[in-house]
Amino acid sequence: MTDAPQSPDAGEAPLGRVVATERKPNTPHEFHFWTALDSPVGIGTIVRVEGALPVNGQIPMIYGIVVEGFSYTDLQTPIHDMLGHDGTPGGASFGATQRAEIRLYTAAVLRQLPEEPLQPVPMGRVFLADNDDVAVALRMDGYLREGANTGIPIGVYRAGGTDAPIYLDADFLIGPEAAHLNITGVSGLATKTSAIEWILSSIFTHFPAQKGSVAAVCFNVKGPDLCFLDQPGTVDEADAALYEKCGVPVKPFENVQYFAPYKSDGYSLNTLRSNDALLHNVSSLTWGLREVLQYAEVLLNKDDVDAKADALIDFIRERVVDHDFSDPLLGNKRYVVRSFADLEQWFRDVLSALEGKNSDGWRTHHVATIRKVRNRLSNISTRCAGLVTDDGAVSDLPFGSFQDRTVYVIDVASLEEDAQDLIFARVVTRLREHLEKRDLGVNHVVVFVDELNKYAPNDGPDTYVRKMLLDLAERGRYLGLVLFSAQQFRSQVHRRVVGNSGTALYGRMDADELATPGYAVLSPAVKIKLATLEKGQLMVRHPHFTQPIFVRFPRPAVMRGRDGAEQYPQAVDIDLEAAVVRSLRTLDPTITLGWVQQAVGIREEEEIVRARNATLRERPADVRKFFLSQLRSVAATQTVTRPAAAALRSAPADDPYGF
Amino acid sequence: MSAVPITPPTTPHASVATIARLLAGLLPSSQPVDGGAALEITAPNTQPARLISATVIEGRALRARRVFDAPVVGFSAFLDGTQQSRVACYLPGGIPIVYGTVGAVIRDRRNQRLFTWRHSVEARLYAPRANVSPAVWHSLIESGVAVQDTSETDASDAASDHPHALREAAVHRVQKDREVAEQSLALEWCAREERPLLIDGGISGVDAVARAACAIGVIKSHRTLYASGEPLAAVLGLGYAERSSVFLVTSPKRASVASWYLRIRDSRGHDPMWGLVRVEVAPPAAGGDAGLSRRADEVSRWILAEVAPVALPDGRWDKMVYGVRDCEEFLRAVM
Repeated sequence: MTDAPQSPDAGEAPLGRVVATERKPNTPHEFHFWTALDSPVGIGTIVRVEGALPVNGQIPMIYGIVVEGFSYTDLQTPIHDMLGHDGTPGGASFGATQRAEIRLYTAAVLRQLPEEPLQPVPMGRVFLADNDDVAVALRMDGYLREGANTGIPIGVYRAGGTDAPIYLDADFLIGPEAAHLNITGVSGLATKTSAIEWILSSIFTHFPAQKGSVAAVCFNVKGPDLCFLDQPGTVDEADAALYEKCGVPVKPFENVQYFAPYKSDGYSLNTLRSNDALLHNVSSLTWGLREVLQYAEVLLNKDDVDAKADALIDFIRERVVDHDFSDPLLGNKRYVVRSFADLEQWFRDVLSALEGKNSDGWRTHHVATIRKVRNRLSNISTRCAGLVTDDGAVSDLPFGSFQDRTVYVIDVASLEEDAQDLIFARVVTRLREHLEKRDLGVNHVVVFVDELNKYAPNDGPDTYVRKMLLDLAERGRYLGLVLFSAQQFRSQVHRRVVGNSGTALYGRMDADELATPGYAVLSPAVKIKLATLEKGQLMVRHPHFTQPIFVRFPRPAVMRGRDGAEQYPQAVDIDLEAAVVRSLRTLDPTITLGWVQQAVGIREEEEIVRARNATLRERPADVRKFFLSQLRSVAATQTVTRPAAAALRSAPADDPYGF
Repeated sequence: MSAVPITPPTTPHASVATIARLLAGLLPSSQPVDGGAALEITAPNTQPARLISATVIEGRALRARRVFDAPVVGFSAFLDGTQQSRVACYLPGGIPIVYGTVGAVIRDRRNQRLFTWRHSVEARLYAPRANVSPAVWHSLIESGVAVQDTSETDASDAASDHPHALREAAVHRVQKDREVAEQSLALEWCAREERPLLIDGGISGVDAVARAACAIGVIKSHRTLYASGEPLAAVLGLGYAERSSVFLVTSPKRASVASWYLRIRDSRGHDPMWGLVRVEVAPPAAGGDAGLSRRADEVSRWILAEVAPVALPDGRWDKMVYGVRDCEEFLRAVM
């Protein structure tokens, strides 16, 4: 008599057994196993298979992740069950016996040990992967070992009793290998932005010292999403446990710098972070002619800039702007063009001179071309008012003195599309130039751009911004310039942008999006899981992981945009004097409205703004004195005495006309 | 001689192909059989159909009785056994060496799900010792597989030298071994448990089981009908949830048991045997006839409760309860 094996081995109990049939064989990349009905296995669970027979003297260990599940009974057709209950569904629960039922799972192989010879997965017992198994299965052991230690926690893998932190390899996340990260998911769940904020926290905490310094430049493209990164948020106990598991402190970003252009009035910051209490680390972002002219093609479309116009723009950029310029046509008058206002004067003089001479060309440039370029360039300061200044005043990111573990947020949410494009193009180009010269101040910069469906679509015109993002995705990693990008529909983003992202994250997905060819590699069960992911869950693809992994990540420890907007409401639009007070108080809290009103007197608005901008740029020790020095002096008032009027002669007494 | 090293099978029930390879090495003159069908399928049922009058012990005549109360779950476990025999090779003279495997299992029902309480699987070589040389017999013994002499049968069942007769004798011997396996498990259950056990088949083979209150046999085949004439008409005319009067089944070689027929499915539109089972329980003690009807009704209600889920796709699903099918599926998996 052969008794059935009633008890598992002492110690770890297997949760399943590998099975294979001719119709459903195991392969080196996929295997099947069954479990008890109450096993904790589900889609995304990582399991370990122990082979029964040694290969080359070593018991094979296979690690896999469950990608599909099946359940069935010994019923041949559904009608048999119906017959068994006389067609009354309610009778089903009175069956004396439950039919034999199986839970059959398909798992994709994550790793085989030994790795050679690569064989089909053998029959064997299946165990739930523990923390060590997860590290081996995902090849994390290679970069978590002593000496390498380039792991960046991205979340926690949970299944059964296993609670294992999942690490990305910093070399493959920030470069020089692979690099870049892309996250996709439906809008409105706060998953994409939250995930990026969490990952940046994790990077700032765990970025290995031997790899140098790292900073982040984030473009806030909608609402108040990134406007309160330095303010603490609410983190519940469950999330706090995740923080602890991942070794990341529960606190907001310590070093954050905000940049936002002015509104078209030229003195109110165009950002939702304009509350007085938060202005200490908000700076204006304003550029002059020199900064803008390099990126004129961003703002001028191909219809605007034909070859002739392009030649004139090049001429102006290389010979006129910031140069001592003179020409016989202009009577050898000397011009130093530094601002849009200067350029406008220069254009006016050139065209007047041409009209005076009744000539239709100057220096090979036709007068019509000159008029067209004048029109287009002058128009830039109008289209990008608040960002581009007529007077050439510049307030920029601190290129050259970037700080380690600092987030630089550029709020472009309220800007027109042209201005957004200009900011993307110029900031990223400047970052690249400085990283090439190794003088940015940090070794690595993470650039976060949301809404790639808008900025790098796979169809539509080939915009400068898309070209810039492509360049960043393809060449950035050599420089330490890393793109973290996000969008709702990955399938509608340029293939080379998402294709170059070494790490891909997926939040809850739309079913239509999952039906696109890009997701054909995922099993139906994984797609269903993706379509129903909870907040705080992600599917992760990383170069070291041979299959996507599901992880949980904590809510970022920063104030949510919506909460911030309520707690720190946007400052109401104010008059110029009040705006000057608000700005200067960030440098000198003793400044009062009365003092400013007295200081500016009846000066022109343009002059006051220029003085305010110069003060903010210079950040002098004596703010009052410096501000006053920027205002043109006004002639002192003099008391004028009125000459006494001469007395009228009295009329003769005998004047017949006298009264 | 095969170049392949000959090693005895490591499991108690190796595949017939493994056994055929083994025997080809031990008996070079034998002719292996490749892919032969199971003898249980090819061997005809030689048991004659017959009618036997039985002594009615419930009332005066065998008649239909309605089981009034609703079905109720009463069985705790199910017992069934299966057998499988194939010709592994033929010796010169057409003498078949049959490889037979028998198995039996009790599946215990807990929380509506069935779990193995105990099972056994045994495999043997079946060969007529009287028809083979001592050297061949010795080789069979050396194979490492248990060998059963099929010529050790009653004189009345003595096999002739016809290969088919020898084969049938082997099948009968396998069948006996299967019955022994089932009886062993039934005995063990009756010794340890008091919970009702549904046994697929009769219970009269072993006295201790036939006398146990917990053992209930359910017979699906009706080659022998315990009624004739008017009582037979009453049996074949039973409607759904009707049973016959209880009668006594006696046999010189077997223990006496109380028995009755029960219709567990509506047979309208089917043959008269559709959904008809015969139930065997321990006979009432002397003077205990008073509770006989109540006992028959109670057990009938237990059986009627087992009609769901149906045992489809098994062809005998009209008479087979699901627990028995589960036993067969289990044995198919492990044999």
